[in-house]
Amino acid sequence: MNERDSTRRTFLKQSIAVAGLSLAAPAFLRSAAWAAGSDAPEKTDLRIGFIPLTDCASVVVAATQGFGSKYGLNITPSKEASWAGVRDKLNTGELDAAHVLYGMMYGAQLGLAGPQRDMAVIMGLNQNGQGITLSRQLREAGVTTGEQLAAHVKQSANPLTFAQTFPTGTHAMWLYYWLGAHGINPMSDVKTIVVPPPQMVANMRVGNMDGFCVGEPWGARAIFDKVGFTVATSQQIWPDHPEKVLGTTRAFVEQYPNTARALVMALLEAGRFIDANEENRRSTARLIAGKAYVNAPVQVIEQRFLGNYEDGLGNSWQDPHSMQFCRDGSVNFPYLSDGMWFLTQFRRWGLLTEDPDYAAVAAAVNQTRLFSEAAGALGLALPASPLRSSTLIDGTVWNGSDPAGYARSFAIKA
Amino acid sequence: MLRILLINDTARHVGRLRQALSEAGFEVTAESGPTIDLPARVEALKPDVILIDSESPGRDVLEQVVMVSRAQPRPIVMFTDEQDPQVMRQAIRSGVSAYIVEGIQAQRLKPILDVAMARFDSEQTLRSELQVREAQLNERKRIEQAKGLLMKIRHCDEEEAYTLMRRQAMDRQQKLIQVAEQIIAMQSLMRG
Repeated sequence: MNERDSTRRTFLKQSIAVAGLSLAAPAFLRSAAWAAGSDAPEKTDLRIGFIPLTDCASVVVAATQGFGSKYGLNITPSKEASWAGVRDKLNTGELDAAHVLYGMMYGAQLGLAGPQRDMAVIMGLNQNGQGITLSRQLREAGVTTGEQLAAHVKQSANPLTFAQTFPTGTHAMWLYYWLGAHGINPMSDVKTIVVPPPQMVANMRVGNMDGFCVGEPWGARAIFDKVGFTVATSQQIWPDHPEKVLGTTRAFVEQYPNTARALVMALLEAGRFIDANEENRRSTARLIAGKAYVNAPVQVIEQRFLGNYEDGLGNSWQDPHSMQFCRDGSVNFPYLSDGMWFLTQFRRWGLLTEDPDYAAVAAAVNQTRLFSEAAGALGLALPASPLRSSTLIDGTVWNGSDPAGYARSFAIKA
Repeated sequence: MLRILLINDTARHVGRLRQALSEAGFEVTAESGPTIDLPARVEALKPDVILIDSESPGRDVLEQVVMVSRAQPRPIVMFTDEQDPQVMRQAIRSGVSAYIVEGIQAQRLKPILDVAMARFDSEQTLRSELQVREAQLNERKRIEQAKGLLMKIRHCDEEEAYTLMRRQAMDRQQKLIQVAEQIIAMQSLMRG
């Protein structure tokens, strides 16, 4: 126990030291840790979990279109029924890695709902492409904006019900942030529940909820089925926000470092292929629409996948911040500031009752060095800093510099 | 006596464990169907043990229950046997997940899990046999389709088409179905 703790402390120190150094690729490529010739994957047959959502695309493309075999990997995609199941299977080794909610990896690292386990985020899979849907009934009651919703919530006799997909997940955090930005406290002004993504639209149809936050294609599906409209896309809440990551356990990364690196390279190439042109995007939409993957009509997936948005209120636009999978690797870098952001929101909403060591937790989970080696080998540009600056919907700037202060700074909190 | 809640929200129907559990001397307090009001139901029933299909999407709803219950007098946690991770691995393999009230000792839960696992293990075998049969049926159809295409292209009879496909498969150390899939794929590529 003590030994394990001290090992972890040493590891944290090293990670932090690494994070502080320059992330330029050549230094890593010359590093002794990864000498040329010793990079054959230790484990070649991999099971990668995914949840049926549009943003599982790079996992499915990598697994089915030969992107793994180039790196000596045989990737079997495994469709999963719940995020909790994904987490358990990562811990038991039934899955080697998975398409996971960013926040869930931090929830597991801290042991927030389940057991504490050391997790690893080895790359970001995508940015953007989620959204908040409000019901047709709310629209009929005159609510089409966040401001109108806030007024409606204040006069409503019964609290409205909003659904998200996992207590520590990204959708919970986008929903809470958006409600908070409009003066609605998600912890006390409304009721929040968890509903599995494929069941969202059906539950809204029968009046079980007034709004939900989920990944595509379910926002588009609600419009297609005329049960709701998009009041906000997730990229309106945070342009180019982090979303799904390729997650595994720390133990996996330590035991199979070459496999982990090869897997990141395969997924980066798959993401780059999807982003390369419109034809590749169309083919990808057709592939993932299948029953074995997202299992939704291709016309529901394709438009938003191509960036063609309509909100179900008669507005349509070409979205410059639609779902992205690579963009020369800028989508995929596991920024420590992105990881810390989820911790600040856990703190804000009372999922964490004390401030964690934000920087140390992020440096332990996000495998910036491993990612930099993989991206560098593919010639992708690496950021100068493991922190980035973002401006969110309420105008606040998050740059990772003062996480505890940032978490405290919100007027609306638990 | 432990209060057991079974959640029936998949085709596997965890509720069928009721009989097996009562035969083993455990009492099932309640069953619940797929409901988005699970948190309220758990609060009302106050179960000590909740059993759910590991492959149920409703697992994420239970995670919310766990999160919310942290602040309550009876916090609920997901069962993970720290002493014996093998138990959890087995349970997940056989397809049952357990959530328990914090403080209940693993020894008290183990016999319940054993019953559940024994019940589901036999089903698992049955199910995988069914899946194999289904896959075989599907393969046969694809091979038939490929054979038909080949007969048209090569103007040959059925037997000759099979022989051509088999020869190709054996030469490349492949299964017949793989060659069939290649023929079907080539055909659509050629048609443009």
